[in-house]
Amino acid sequence: MALDLTINGAAHSVDADPETPLLWVIRDYVGLTGTKFSCGMAQCGACTVHVDGQPVRSCTFPASAAVGKAITTIEGVSDDGSHPVQVAWKELDAPQCGYCQSGMIMATLALLERTPEPTDADIDAAVTNICRCGTYHRIRAAIHRAAQLIKAEA
Amino acid sequence: MTEKNRTTLDRREFLATSTAATGAFVLGFWLPPNARAAVPHGASWYEDPANREINAWIVIDPDDTVTIRIAQTELGQGVWTSNAMMVCEELACDWDTVKLEYASANRDFREAAPEWTLPVPGEGAYDRDGGGAPEFRDRSYVNGIPDSLYRRMRTNAAASVRDGRYYLQLAGAEARERLLLAAASELSVPVNELAVKDGVITHAASGRTLSYGQVAARAAETPHPNPEAINIKPPSEWTLMGTEQHNRDVPMKVTGETMYGIDVRLPGMKWAAVRSCPVYGGDIQSFDFDAVRERPGVVSAHQLPIPNPELIRGRVFGGGVAIVADHWHQAKAAIDAMPIEWDIPAHLANRNTAGMHTELVAALDAPGTVRVDEGDVDAVLAKADRVIEATYSTPYLPRARMEPGNATVLVTDERVDIWIGDQSPQETRHSAAVITGIPEENVYVHLCHLGGGYGRNGNGPQAEHAITIANENRGTPIHMLWSREEDFVGTTYRAMGVARLRAALDDDGWPLAIDVRTAMQGDGFGPTSSFNNVARYHAPNYRFSNHTTDFHVPVGTRRGIGQAAHEFYRESFIDELAHAAGKDPYLYRRELVARSNLPHKDDLVRALDLAAEMSDWGTPLPEGLARAIALEERGADVEGTVTISAVVHTVSITRDGRVKLERVDMAHDKGFGLVNPLSVKKQLEGQIVWFYNDAMLQKNTVADGRIVENNYDRFPVARIHESPPEINIQFFETNHWLKGLGHDRATSVQSAIGDAIFQITGKRYRDLPFGQHDLSWG
Repeated sequence: MALDLTINGAAHSVDADPETPLLWVIRDYVGLTGTKFSCGMAQCGACTVHVDGQPVRSCTFPASAAVGKAITTIEGVSDDGSHPVQVAWKELDAPQCGYCQSGMIMATLALLERTPEPTDADIDAAVTNICRCGTYHRIRAAIHRAAQLIKAEA
Repeated sequence: MTEKNRTTLDRREFLATSTAATGAFVLGFWLPPNARAAVPHGASWYEDPANREINAWIVIDPDDTVTIRIAQTELGQGVWTSNAMMVCEELACDWDTVKLEYASANRDFREAAPEWTLPVPGEGAYDRDGGGAPEFRDRSYVNGIPDSLYRRMRTNAAASVRDGRYYLQLAGAEARERLLLAAASELSVPVNELAVKDGVITHAASGRTLSYGQVAARAAETPHPNPEAINIKPPSEWTLMGTEQHNRDVPMKVTGETMYGIDVRLPGMKWAAVRSCPVYGGDIQSFDFDAVRERPGVVSAHQLPIPNPELIRGRVFGGGVAIVADHWHQAKAAIDAMPIEWDIPAHLANRNTAGMHTELVAALDAPGTVRVDEGDVDAVLAKADRVIEATYSTPYLPRARMEPGNATVLVTDERVDIWIGDQSPQETRHSAAVITGIPEENVYVHLCHLGGGYGRNGNGPQAEHAITIANENRGTPIHMLWSREEDFVGTTYRAMGVARLRAALDDDGWPLAIDVRTAMQGDGFGPTSSFNNVARYHAPNYRFSNHTTDFHVPVGTRRGIGQAAHEFYRESFIDELAHAAGKDPYLYRRELVARSNLPHKDDLVRALDLAAEMSDWGTPLPEGLARAIALEERGADVEGTVTISAVVHTVSITRDGRVKLERVDMAHDKGFGLVNPLSVKKQLEGQIVWFYNDAMLQKNTVADGRIVENNYDRFPVARIHESPPEINIQFFETNHWLKGLGHDRATSVQSAIGDAIFQITGKRYRDLPFGQHDLSWG
């Protein structure tokens, strides 16, 4: 059965079982591979995308539940890596292996949307993704830096 | 035939073969548009090689584009950048515009290393101007190592800079000198009248300039007249090396464009999910494919034999089964639903952690291998008034990298193509040849970035699984992907271990004798680290012995290897001795190192002093906080390369037992020079979190012969709130080349948290992770 999905503003009609996790629809049916698979049980956050602006862990989120909603993936954040969060990430040289970073950035975007100047405690509560390389020190600094950049733009 | 043409011919062979096999590859490789953009320009597996190769590492196009080939795998450690910096330093090209691509592991098999890359310049570890002291280790069953074209394609042992620096610098210098010779010929001037900067050659006397692109074709045909005479720049002349450079792949890591193995897509590709026997050494008894073959997308099932241990360094995994389907989630759902019966050897089916721990402790009292035996340890211990004894234990630990094991493989009757993030492509190349019967010279390993590595990406059979399945589906590309749970089955583990340390103390609390016994399974890695040759903390009588058991869990080279456990044992015990002696743990260490016969003891003392100074050691802390100090070293016991660090950790513990690493002050050996100090800092920061995980959170247990914790719900990983808010790193100059720092730094988190727990709560725990204990106090 066809699922009509809107991903990064583009319409996609996908012939997949409605219960297929949104992650696999994004990665394997639509071909956007920036969103990552790691645990498959909503533990690590590598698969974080936005559905109507809310961060969801797409590995356990049925694709059918996203029909009619706006799905945003890392590919939709900017065309060229110029979003302030991406700029801050580059300034701090935050990623190591990078595998978790798409999810980290999506979690951060959702945080900054509702809390433009987050405290460390806000970050601890909102960015609960796993990074096995241990890049948290730079991620925290990059989140604060991104908040500054966004404020300066406003 | 030139090397360049041979590479080109290979490319055409691939296209012709693939078209014949599938009828689908008329346009060559297909990749998603985002992936095409993400793969660094010129990557050998998606577009034709550039055409002005100077040597195997360097290609220069007529438009001045310089491409540097990287023969090791980027897994977050920064090798993509640091290897290129070493080449670029000598090549004198424009760092900001240089492009990077992975080197061809196939060509590595076909060609020998140039003669001029073999001798190491200079006098070894203490020669500032030389190439250091590389430690290539021969793996005789792996063809082409270590003197194949790209030398060492493995990415392990924190050795990429130590082993590769000299020949990467030589590669840059050889190319630069040939480019200058070509320019001199072009301009008809003596070569010594030319200067070069950022890829532009200038003849000052006449004011004429030539770009590298303009002379690359001529340089490619100009042999070096005397390659044995090529010099490499000493650190005093470095202009790029030694500066903080952002990693070159970070921009694509913030847009999702990085191509990991899991992201490879080929036309006609099918996906495979795997289920292996959860007990190592077990095999398939039966499976009922008929029960699931009608499910959507399902194509076929394949029994997987126990992977040939000879291909994976002797490790025994389990047999299994794979299901191939149109999409991976279909294959995964089918294999989850398929009835499978296992054939598990009875003697393995009842193994469990408690029994294995008992065996390890028993091994401590059985005969072992005595590595060091100075003085008469038994006699001194027997008559001593005061003997301190402690037994420590460490669990099995996996890498738990975030990208689950995967590989995409296309086997035809003529060749094998493998797309994989792999820390040892030379070994994977060999595996493909053995499994398929296709000559190794026709195996192509197309390297991808790795979503974490931490030790030869598991040493497990991810490539072997994919090759086996693809070999039974010749002509169809197969993307094999392990689930997270399968990744815990397919990985190797850091061996679980125990250690018993005993010391006799004199009336002033100084050790008269120290006896160290460690036990781990016989094939564990790093059994001699931290204690061998010379006692790091001096005792006139010193003995160190290894004791072994035979367990079925496959062990491998996890970040930190045996050293991480051994430094936990050693530094914890020294803290216990210092407390027993009533002495300051920093000054106690300092005195015992100073008394030692360690060749690098002066640098160890400097590290301790700097860390203590950085941390305000000795100043009062509020209740609930404590500081602990520890030494980290690899190689301090023998002359040669070494890496030394000392760290003070400031730890808080709430009354209800919540531990936090508040502040880390690390004094770190700089050696003669760090290639990319920013990358080094990132590695050190990451390892603080890594060993916090080991100290507080992680263990794998065995029940009924199988690993119990197999996903992040039961195998916790620290999150951002557990990362220390303050990290201070200072480098101090030393007069040696470094051994490496990517896997065994910050091991001190373990002993330091243990000692902080003791200082704050009065409780001494000796088994990791500490998080399993009640740490409340007051």
